Amino acid sequence: MTGDRIEVRGLTKAYEGADPLRPALHDVDLEIPRGRFVSLIGPSGCGKSTLLRVVAGLERHDTGTVSVFGSTPERMAAAKAVGLVPQSPALLPWQNVRRNVSLPSRVNRRAGRGSEDPDLLLRMVGLEDAARKYPHELSGGMRQRVAIARAFGIRPDLLLMDEPFSALDEFTREALQLQLLGLWERMSTTVLFVTHSVREAVTLSDTVVVMSARPGRVHEVLDVDLPRPRDRGVVTGPRLHVLEDRVRASLQTAWEAGAAPDDLVPL
Amino acid sequence: MATQTPARPRPDREEGPRGAAPRVRRRLFGIGLWMPATVAVLLCGLAWTAVAEDQPYLLPPLREVGTVLVEDPGLFLGNAWSTLRIALLGVSFGAGTAFVLSLVMSEVPVVRRAIMPLAVVLNVTPVVALAPALVVAFGFGMAPKVIVTAIITFFPVLINMTTGLRSVPVPVLHVFSTLHASRLEVLLRLRVPSSLPYALAALRVVFPLSIVGAVVAEFVAAGSSSGLGTMIRTSAATARLEYVYAAIACLAAMGVLMLALITVLERRLLFWHESQQ
Repeated sequence: MTGDRIEVRGLTKAYEGADPLRPALHDVDLEIPRGRFVSLIGPSGCGKSTLLRVVAGLERHDTGTVSVFGSTPERMAAAKAVGLVPQSPALLPWQNVRRNVSLPSRVNRRAGRGSEDPDLLLRMVGLEDAARKYPHELSGGMRQRVAIARAFGIRPDLLLMDEPFSALDEFTREALQLQLLGLWERMSTTVLFVTHSVREAVTLSDTVVVMSARPGRVHEVLDVDLPRPRDRGVVTGPRLHVLEDRVRASLQTAWEAGAAPDDLVPL
Repeated sequence: MATQTPARPRPDREEGPRGAAPRVRRRLFGIGLWMPATVAVLLCGLAWTAVAEDQPYLLPPLREVGTVLVEDPGLFLGNAWSTLRIALLGVSFGAGTAFVLSLVMSEVPVVRRAIMPLAVVLNVTPVVALAPALVVAFGFGMAPKVIVTAIITFFPVLINMTTGLRSVPVPVLHVFSTLHASRLEVLLRLRVPSSLPYALAALRVVFPLSIVGAVVAEFVAAGSSSGLGTMIRTSAATARLEYVYAAIACLAAMGVLMLALITVLERRLLFWHESQQ
């Protein structure tokens, strides 16, 4: 049965008006067992964000099948079983932090899905003192923590994150990565995480999926066998660097495989 | 006030070290703000007086305008209220209709395609030209004046609201989609609040316009008996310029008050928006 995993088979998607011979995604196969933390990494144009949006049910695909725990992406969304953290925090600026975190409990009540206490969520991301503040009063890192708390609020079966830390400075990013891991270990959900940082992918994931561009496809799937929980000792250790080098080498061949002719012309 | 909105930042919040030096600088800065405008007003007043002394049929002496206002404030207040009532009724009908229509148009594209060309034609038509016909149709009462004002205020609100309802960031829409929010939920919880800055920007334009609409309608409706527009028309016909300018001063004051009201509304409702920071 496929109820215990996300299964993507022969997924192809071309955008309207784009070259049909070079689809955004071509024949993508991917399998993610429940409870895994999986990162998608690859050069720009490799379709990693498109793949994420297809799994989220935000975009339709042309051919192939996508099964999320034995269901379709649309039915998962209808059941409020999917959490999304976009690249920008996407908070409602006219509502305070607490109202933003509890937003999922106020829309789509038909799904009948319970949600976490917003105060508990805020405590878990260390923002209990900011509950009454408005997004414009927060730093970028704090806003992204609010977005993460909001996504965890419905106890999602699947959590989708689209480069959530890419706009943050390095120190904030590393702190948030560890905080995210802490939350994930407590909430035990499946995470699909799009990133273009090799270190971030290795630090967070059980599995790193390297993708290549033109057409977007899966280049290599690498397992990260670092121990959990991953504290600072693990994520700065030598094993991590070995794995980072392997992902980097894979990315290099992926980039060469998918590079456009103009990319190779020296300036 | 403070109990209702404890977390709201005050627009004049102080930054940096407090002390004597910034306070003095702020006071000087305050003078810098007010002085140029005050000097300009005084110079205009002097120029006005110079002309008025020479040729009283060009401009009435300011003293006389002031006297007229002070001697019978009730007359001006009554007429101002009459005009203001038309303006406000016109805005509520015009802006209200535009608001409801913009909601329908944002949800039903067919309606938008049907209505937009009509609205544009109505907007480029000089409404003043419609006014006499409306007076013939509806008489000298309030109805034609309110209709003129409503038509003038309709379009800016419709255009701004249409833009506002669409100006929702895609990531936020994606979050709502993954939660499978209904169209009504997206409209009420996301699109309408997002369009609030646009709605208030439209009101900022439309409130002064509504006074224009009301006065123009009073000019055209020859039999009307009250309103500042009527007063200007009848006083001008008998060459009592001091009444004309006193009425104009009242209109200007009404416009300023309306803008002040909108500014207060913006501060209260849009404290979260970039424009207020």
